[in-house]
Amino acid sequence: MSSILVVLSVQDGRIKRSSLEGLSRAVFVSKKLQWDVSVAIFHGDAPSFVEEAGQYGAKTAYCVSNPIFNSHLNTPWITGLSKVIELAKPRLVVVASTESTKDILGAVAIRSQAAVLSDVATFDVATFDVAGDIVVCERPIMAAKMMAATQSKEPLVIVSLRSGSYEAVKTTETSAEINIVAVPFDFDSGTLTATLKEIVRSTGETVDLSEAKIVVAAGRGVKDAAGKALIDELASITGAAVGASRAVVESGLFPATAQIGQTGKVVSPELYFAVGISGAIQHVAGMSNSRVIVAINKDADAPIFDVATYGLVGDCFKILPILNAELKKILS
Amino acid sequence: MEEKFDAIIVGGGIAGLSAAMTLARGNAKFLLIERGAFCGAKNVSGGVLWGNDLAKLVPEYWKEEGGFERFINHRRLTFMDDQSAFSVDFKSNHFNEEPYAGVTVLRSIFDEWLAGKVQEAIEQSEHPEESFLATDILVEEVLLEGGKAVGIRAGEERFYADCVILAEGVNNLLTRQIGLEKAYVPVDYMAIGIKEVLKLDAARLEDRFQLRGRSGVTNEFVGYCSDGVEGGGFLYTNRDSISIGLVLSLKSLKNSEKTPYDVLNTFKSHPAVADMIEGSVAVEYSAHAVSTGDIRSLPSELYSNGVLIAGEAAHLLLNAGKAIQGMDFAMRSGILAAETVLEATKKSDFSTGMLKNYRTALEASYVMKDLRSFQGAVQLLHQPEMFGPIPNMICDFGRQFFTISGEPTPKASKMMHAAVKRHVSYWDLVKLGLKGAKSL
Amino acid sequence: MKFCVCIKQVPDVQSTVQTGRMVLNAYDASAVEEALVINSDSTDEIDLILVGPASATETIRKALAMGANNAFHLVVEESSQLDSFAVAHLLAGFLKGRTYDVILTGKQAQDSDAGLVGGMLAELLKLPFATNAVGMTALAGGLQVKRQGDTGQEILILPIPCLVTCSNDMNNPRIPSLKGIMGAKRTTIATETGTPGNNRTQVSRVFPPAARVPGIKLSGEPGELVAQLLSKLQSEAGVL
Ligand SMILES: Cc1cc2nc3c(=O)[nH]c(=O)nc-3n(C[C@H](O)[C@H](O)[C@H](O)COP(=O)(O)OP(=O)(O)OC[C@H]3O[C@@H](n4cnc5c(N)ncnc54)[C@H](O)[C@@H]3O)c2cc1C
Ligand SMILES: Cc1cc2nc3c(=O)[nH]c(=O)nc-3n(C[C@H](O)[C@H](O)[C@H](O)COP(=O)(O)OP(=O)(O)OC[C@H]3O[C@@H](n4cnc5c(N)ncnc54)[C@H](O)[C@@H]3O)c2cc1C
Ligand SMILES: Nc1ncnc2c1ncn2[C@@H]1O[C@H](COP(=O)(O)O)[C@@H](O)[C@H]1O
Repeated sequence: MSSILVVLSVQDGRIKRSSLEGLSRAVFVSKKLQWDVSVAIFHGDAPSFVEEAGQYGAKTAYCVSNPIFNSHLNTPWITGLSKVIELAKPRLVVVASTESTKDILGAVAIRSQAAVLSDVATFDVATFDVAGDIVVCERPIMAAKMMAATQSKEPLVIVSLRSGSYEAVKTTETSAEINIVAVPFDFDSGTLTATLKEIVRSTGETVDLSEAKIVVAAGRGVKDAAGKALIDELASITGAAVGASRAVVESGLFPATAQIGQTGKVVSPELYFAVGISGAIQHVAGMSNSRVIVAINKDADAPIFDVATYGLVGDCFKILPILNAELKKILS
Repeated sequence: MEEKFDAIIVGGGIAGLSAAMTLARGNAKFLLIERGAFCGAKNVSGGVLWGNDLAKLVPEYWKEEGGFERFINHRRLTFMDDQSAFSVDFKSNHFNEEPYAGVTVLRSIFDEWLAGKVQEAIEQSEHPEESFLATDILVEEVLLEGGKAVGIRAGEERFYADCVILAEGVNNLLTRQIGLEKAYVPVDYMAIGIKEVLKLDAARLEDRFQLRGRSGVTNEFVGYCSDGVEGGGFLYTNRDSISIGLVLSLKSLKNSEKTPYDVLNTFKSHPAVADMIEGSVAVEYSAHAVSTGDIRSLPSELYSNGVLIAGEAAHLLLNAGKAIQGMDFAMRSGILAAETVLEATKKSDFSTGMLKNYRTALEASYVMKDLRSFQGAVQLLHQPEMFGPIPNMICDFGRQFFTISGEPTPKASKMMHAAVKRHVSYWDLVKLGLKGAKSL
Repeated sequence: MKFCVCIKQVPDVQSTVQTGRMVLNAYDASAVEEALVINSDSTDEIDLILVGPASATETIRKALAMGANNAFHLVVEESSQLDSFAVAHLLAGFLKGRTYDVILTGKQAQDSDAGLVGGMLAELLKLPFATNAVGMTALAGGLQVKRQGDTGQEILILPIPCLVTCSNDMNNPRIPSLKGIMGAKRTTIATETGTPGNNRTQVSRVFPPAARVPGIKLSGEPGELVAQLLSKLQSEAGVL
């Protein structure tokens, strides 16, 4: 029987929601094909995530336990994932599109002789009598200006899935125990070709941007520390994560991890505030799938209004203090 | 010292590229400098390129996929009030023959295409590695030695040449730097052109405007389109888009306290226009200064020691109501300036006496001839009656004339009389009529 | 350090009107810039390699004009649609016989947004690598790379030879000077015919994304705007 292998990304001791979204989609796709779904977990304590994986419908869990996975380094990951692929022999591998997976996909594809469909918005397996099954997907191209229906007939295909593309849903089936396969992994650190010197974490991040239900994003119109304070206040009132345009990351006002767009992260929250952001296509590429978009911009012709659900034409320094005060009343 | 060029051209618009093409064909060593990221990046035109100089620069250009959008075989002049549109419409098979008398262009496509042609001409010339088209570079200064222009400065870089052709367009800072024009241009001589490109599926566009193959239509508008502001509107068909816009007097716009954007929206919402653009999506909006075509706005001279000025940098533009002629004037003046340089190179004589030949050639051409003979029409277009009462009167007449109401129909002359009485005085009309007859 | 930068020609995604204009991939421009900065006081040369149709020469010249020394052009047919896998193989074939200290690529191509060639190429050449670099410093016998990760910046030490993929957050690519433009025109671009192998993925259709439901634009006094927004967010949109 063919199978789908879903790699679960663990960040800050939790399975990333985007991995669970991929798992849910894999479970859905596998049902009509009567395939199996297994997961791969790379972590110092991989088995501790198995139960949750089972709740989302995984039948088998490949646990690669090694503390080296607690911080990101591409060499061990590439070796580890290639090894699991060799063991599990899946037809399709699904990973969440994150900076860590983007780091290893190309190399894993070569090593495991796989095709890669990166950063997809949808994926499916189409079955044909003659051609066999084909992995099909839709992926944004040209800074999300266009979509490309892309496919691969290769016997092994890896897809990386944009966050927010599907919902993460727990399975309702009460099924048998999840089957755990402990994959021995002794990584000889002597074979490490690159060394991680340190990780400089951006400070002040309380909510993970790519998983946040509400995002408050700031652009050049936010100008300075006083503007940033208004943004932070709006975020803390609404429990939102703070995002930013490239302009204010470049100026140093916001950390690079907050950047949303073609170069930065892709987000798809329920509610997105774009404050003082013009709406360049490279920015919109990262946020146009948000359900409700509120744009605050003093230029009535700013392109951000083309994607906004509610566009407020005005000065954010005048609007935000009132908005914050009103929201405080409503939400407390 | 750096290598010396025969000429340095400032500006990669129509005038600059036409000069460059002529120089490349004449085997001159030249440097063209354009400040935009590519030729056409910053340029705005309505844009119909009239005349047949393009066929001289790029023989059989119509055989190519690239370059222009559509050729014009259908023209329309529309007078409008707030509800009606009265058009003079002319379509002719005579206009289907090459070389075309007018083609629509989108400058961001056309200019770069023309630059590619110049590049090819350079490669085929005797100096394939000694002439250059350089983009993304701003010329900040014309270098003068003893009153003669000897080169240019861009940032820290200086380059030298026997002469400089200024083809910098209407914002002619360098022309002002060398003193051929005053630092401030009187507001009367300036208009603002605004334009939108509206995307529309080619099949729908062709269906809607009855276009065949690559044929296209131009439509000029007077009256309600400018919402009381002095000026007029235009609508041209491209391959799969429509160029729509207005040219408005700066002074009159300022007095009206409207923004150009407001006026454009009024124009676009007129029923006759709304029907033409229905279902299209705006993909580009731009605004650009444009000369009014008043001959008094020309620089004190079109050349000086070591410098030639071509195109709108010299305010060479004619807008006599039936068309805007800026690009064809730019093309011809660029060609003539370059021909003067070629002659000067041949004779190794870059004296002012030699450069004067440029002025002489321009005076002998249709550029200066038309500019002089149609000044009356240019003045007429500035009469307040032209963008309110007259179009209103014409539409009023049209409404009566084309109405069949079940009542006895008056004679057309009577309708005309009624329309005139409602909108203008006979005396004004006679005055304008006389002026008009003289000017065209 | 001897650098080779892989550059790609892509359509200009910035232009509103479809001009068909082709440009240097912005991420690759950052890679060229970084090589120039790191190499500024070295006599080692910076080479460029591009896989693309004959018409891509102008893009190569643009990168040469920034200050790179030599350029190679693997010419493929105008119509060939190569995926990252096919490109990585062509590049690997070209690079195998040559020695470079550092190979740079962009973190992704602006048109395909795939982000795969770098990692594939590194694996094909068996080189240590880092992706999504936002900073780079030369060390004795190595390279320190700052890469943008999910939660912050990871600082890595890579031995030489190695491969790095560059983000445009790394620097602001210089605009070529007139001298650079002139020099680039006189540089001979070494041209070879590229024979691409198979793609592993196929694009079957390109189409515009589903349009968002048109929104509304409100203007007026800040207080009014906020009141209207909040009522819409609560009643109409059902968020908050
Ligand atoms: C290859 C490439 C990749 C890129 N990737 C990204 C990316 O991932 N993310 C990204 O964001 N950008 C990216 N960019 C950059 C992008 O093109 C834009 O330059 C950037 O998004 C602009 O940021 P901005 O909207 O904050 O600034 P601006 O474009 O300067 O806009 C500022 C806006 O603020 C408004 N404003 C000013 N003052 C006020 C006020 N008081 N109140 C309200 N509004 C005000 C202005 O009207 C204006 O619309 C990329 C570019 C390239 C070439
Ligand atoms: C809305 C509108 C509609 C129009 N419609 C028409 C029409 O339908 N038909 C028609 O024939 N004309 C039309 N015109 C007029 C026409 O666009 C101009 O007359 C024509 O573009 C002039 O050509 P040019 O080469 O002289 O200048 P431009 O086309 O303006 O080119 C000048 C070039 O020089 C460059 N430059 C300037 N300064 C420097 C510097 N210091 N260093 C380097 N580069 C520099 C600029 O970037 C530019 O590319 C219209 C104009 C407008 C605004
Ligand atoms: N045709 C090409 N020629 C040279 N380098 C390329 C080519 N295509 C991609 N690359 C390099 O690979 C990077 C990533 O491309 P991609 O995997 O297609 O997103 C680019 O930024 C380039 O550095």
